[in-house]
Amino acid sequence: MQRRRFTMSALALTAAAAGCRPSDPGVIRLVSSLPRTGSAKQQSDTIVRGIRLAIAEAEGRVGAFRIEYLDLDDATAAAGQWTSEAEAANARRALQDPDVVAYLGTFNSGAAKVSMPILNLGDLLMVSPANTAVGLTKPGLGDRGEPEIYRPTGRRNFVRVVPADDLQGQLSAEWAWRRGIRRVVILDDNEVYGKGIADLFEERCRELGLTVLAHDAIDAKAQEFRSLMARVRSLGPELVYFGGTTQTKGGQLAKDMAGAGVEAILMVPDGCLEQVFIEAAGPANLEGRCFVTFGGLPPEKLTGKGMAFVEHYRARYGEMPEAYAVYGYEAAGVALRAVRDAGVKDRRTITDAALAIRDYDGALGRWGFDANGDTTLRTLTVSTVRDGRFVFEEVLEPDASPATS
Amino acid sequence: MSTEILLQQCLIGLANGALIALVALGYTMVYGIVRLINFAHGDLVMLGACLALSLVEFSGLTAAGPVTTWIGIAGLVLACGLFCGSLNVLVDRVVYRPLRGAPKLAPLVSAIGVSFIFMNVGLFWIGPADRSFPPLVPATNLLAGDRLQFTARDLLVVAIVVPLMVALTVLVRATPLGRAMRAVAQDPVAATLMGVDVERVIAATFFLGGFLGGAASVVHGLTITTIGFQMGFLNGLYAFTAAVLGGIGSVPGAVVGGLVIGLVRALSSLLVGERWTGAVVFGILIVILVFRPEGLLGRRTVDKV
Amino acid sequence: MSERDAERPVRGRRSGPFWPRTRTWLRRHWDLAALALLAMAPAVVPALGGALGGQVTIVFISCILALGLNVMVGSTGLVHLGIAAFFGIGAFCHAILTVPTEPFRWSFLPAAALSVLITAGVGLALGAPTLRLRGDYLAIVTLGFGEVVKVSLRNLEQITGGMKGLNPVPPPAAGLRLGGVDLGMQFAVDPRWFYALALGVLAVVVVALRRLERSRLGRAWMAVREDELAAAATGISASRVKLSAFALSSALAGLAGCLYAACLSTTADPNAYDFNRSVMVLCAVILGGLGSIPGTLLGVALLVGFDTVLAPWADAAIQQSGINPGGSMLLSFSGWRLALFGFVLVLVMRLKPAGLMPSRRMAAELREARA
Repeated sequence: MQRRRFTMSALALTAAAAGCRPSDPGVIRLVSSLPRTGSAKQQSDTIVRGIRLAIAEAEGRVGAFRIEYLDLDDATAAAGQWTSEAEAANARRALQDPDVVAYLGTFNSGAAKVSMPILNLGDLLMVSPANTAVGLTKPGLGDRGEPEIYRPTGRRNFVRVVPADDLQGQLSAEWAWRRGIRRVVILDDNEVYGKGIADLFEERCRELGLTVLAHDAIDAKAQEFRSLMARVRSLGPELVYFGGTTQTKGGQLAKDMAGAGVEAILMVPDGCLEQVFIEAAGPANLEGRCFVTFGGLPPEKLTGKGMAFVEHYRARYGEMPEAYAVYGYEAAGVALRAVRDAGVKDRRTITDAALAIRDYDGALGRWGFDANGDTTLRTLTVSTVRDGRFVFEEVLEPDASPATS
Repeated sequence: MSTEILLQQCLIGLANGALIALVALGYTMVYGIVRLINFAHGDLVMLGACLALSLVEFSGLTAAGPVTTWIGIAGLVLACGLFCGSLNVLVDRVVYRPLRGAPKLAPLVSAIGVSFIFMNVGLFWIGPADRSFPPLVPATNLLAGDRLQFTARDLLVVAIVVPLMVALTVLVRATPLGRAMRAVAQDPVAATLMGVDVERVIAATFFLGGFLGGAASVVHGLTITTIGFQMGFLNGLYAFTAAVLGGIGSVPGAVVGGLVIGLVRALSSLLVGERWTGAVVFGILIVILVFRPEGLLGRRTVDKV
Repeated sequence: MSERDAERPVRGRRSGPFWPRTRTWLRRHWDLAALALLAMAPAVVPALGGALGGQVTIVFISCILALGLNVMVGSTGLVHLGIAAFFGIGAFCHAILTVPTEPFRWSFLPAAALSVLITAGVGLALGAPTLRLRGDYLAIVTLGFGEVVKVSLRNLEQITGGMKGLNPVPPPAAGLRLGGVDLGMQFAVDPRWFYALALGVLAVVVVALRRLERSRLGRAWMAVREDELAAAATGISASRVKLSAFALSSALAGLAGCLYAACLSTTADPNAYDFNRSVMVLCAVILGGLGSIPGTLLGVALLVGFDTVLAPWADAAIQQSGINPGGSMLLSFSGWRLALFGFVLVLVMRLKPAGLMPSRRMAAELREARA
């Protein structure tokens, strides 16, 4: 008897695992695929909160449909970061579930390269809140064959609400040039995002005539970088650029840089724009010497709908949103808008509706998608660290770039 | 390239190497006695670091004066040493001891299992992100001028590691316990026949290895000043490599192996590039073992026919 | 295993014609029976057409990898901590030969064949100079080799694409049309194609290894494992025997790598081939029972299945049940994943030190050792 009950429940479990839930015509489901275990959890937490806030503000409904949301993890505990296997499984899972109409993700550009071709087969809309690698959308800027190789059907299904790295890497170099900096050392974490942005930074530096003293990559699993920093110190740079994130040891690098007595300023991209970066590095090691670039305005500078977003976020979660929260909010907003515009529960129609968005009035201001599915937002801001907090410094506009020398 | 930067890298390499050596001792002592690669040792060090962080935060040591700070650090070393030592003995009692007669690889897999459990404990203890360890010792340069750096933190490594190693050498060479340990390492059966309580010796070895690991965790926290629940893996990997390089089972071998690995890492970062350090360290390891299969200071084992 | 088990088949043979004989066969060849059942599964379980299919395929591929490792560790007694490196070399070779961004653009079969040959060659190249190392020293050399390969894959960007990996690896039969159906597209759309392919390769590997086990070479492996000197005294060339194990083990790992890259349509980043995977596979082999093919399959199904199938499913199930609205780590499955994994390893080794399903020879040895 006991045994039979066990068999029955095992069968029931198998049936549930098999996803035999019947499709509900009144429901649309959003899924997100972000690294929910391991070191990037903090940043993915804020993105998920942004998504949940957007859904809550829509009161869980869009048009005639009820919204459901599923927060999938593309990291494994054993790896401590995203893995291709988990990302591929998430994409397949979303594709198979007929109620899913939008896939919000990924966090890591490398992961997007895995799921994009899979989702493309089903014309499932993919809205990324954080992928900045240029090759995902922009023809000619990434590797050979990009981005067509991610579109086996030849149709498009990927949009991103965050500006790509070509803007960030380039404007960072221009900012350094304007500050009178001529000698730089470039480091990166050897990841798709970090290396990509560091290479773009180096390219622009060379165009502007800055001296690149060295460009080396770190092992993001290493414990300390004292040897590296002793070498950097002997090179005597005015600026050290690190293409990487808090998770790939940005904090430790800043710490060892100060410890080794390197007197250069440190510049990092938006992957380090989170409070944990300051905590990891130790506020004193960053004070007044660290500059962070970020696509868009910092939360405290947002106006209109953006200000409302910050207020609602604070009311709901009891803290200021971290930089990426607004992109999670905006990504979910775009998906919901696409569903509303399409009016039917059909993946291709919804994807086309998203690609056709040209005027979106959201928390980031008024913007739209261009023909590649990239955001038209071109605002970049620089923040610095003062008293253990990120403080807004200036807005960088691509138009104000210095002439190529 | 100036000699200065070369010298600087050597200093950094030796300081890091001393830390690696301290962890490597835990591997080599346990291996010498029970022939077990204790995969969980790196994660034991990680738990020690978690305890050190909690103790510092709890005791408010960050605000103390210099004298209190140094006394506090000695207390930390003692507390974390005792904690890691006792935990190591406990794990041996519960997990490895029932497997003494089992196939050789069974304790290895158990050790890997224990390392996963430790990691999970660390995850709940300090959270998923890396944590900054309060810098109790400043990174001030002790050398005149600013061309070469030897910081107070490097001094701290020396101040903790050297006495511990001297004490350990004395203990192994000149005490009854040390003699019993050497006897068990050579031949457990013969040692039993001579009246040595093998299980007690094994427990003592696990305790000593764990104690050194606990001390290493404090040194790690104070000098590298970042800890995270995944730090045990790489720490363990380098320390284990150091133990084998020096000749696993040999106490001076572990020290030499640790220093060599520290130096190789620092110099390859300078000469080959930071991105290749991992490959250089392990490449050299393979070459050394191919030409000297028993490690640098290990004794050649003779096959019994 | 007790003596009662050994008696049962005899009783069966005496008492009846069909079922008992089937039972005897099943007892001996249950791994083949399980593979046959799995082959029928896609027709019954529709979920295999979705994420589950992809996940189970990864388990099959890991089985091939583990069987390769078993040749070294189980049959020949050489501890190997860097099997993932060969898995990675296979995957990257296959990708270099097939991706559209490289000049070769071979089709699946020749690319896989050459990749397997290359990995076998690399295995020989590592094996030859390290033959005289024994036990744990060999383990550390293979571990070191694994790290060197990982770092090299990451840094040799011009060849391997660095952390981006190589992308997209075309599916087998890309561009092949059969009755108006694009077979390559079928592979990309429906995971059941890869499921069938991986299962088929796995079955071939299992059958081949079973035959090999009883062959002259298989016995020579075991002889070397038991006592190298005694084996040499009977005229077995220990170094040649060990090298053959090195080569075969690497080749199987390379084969698994080819399938992995083709199945994910990317090589993934080099971190997918790190020490973690080597350790995971080694644990699976030991947990299942060293030297035992069904044991290895069971070990992989348990450990890899836990990580790739059960954990994501349990996480999603907990989320959808609404037990954990705040997303607390303590209430999520992934928060406890490492500890669960660890407890399984410790407990199984405690209760069955020779593994869940030790080969008969190993079990007999263990009894002898205890007596």
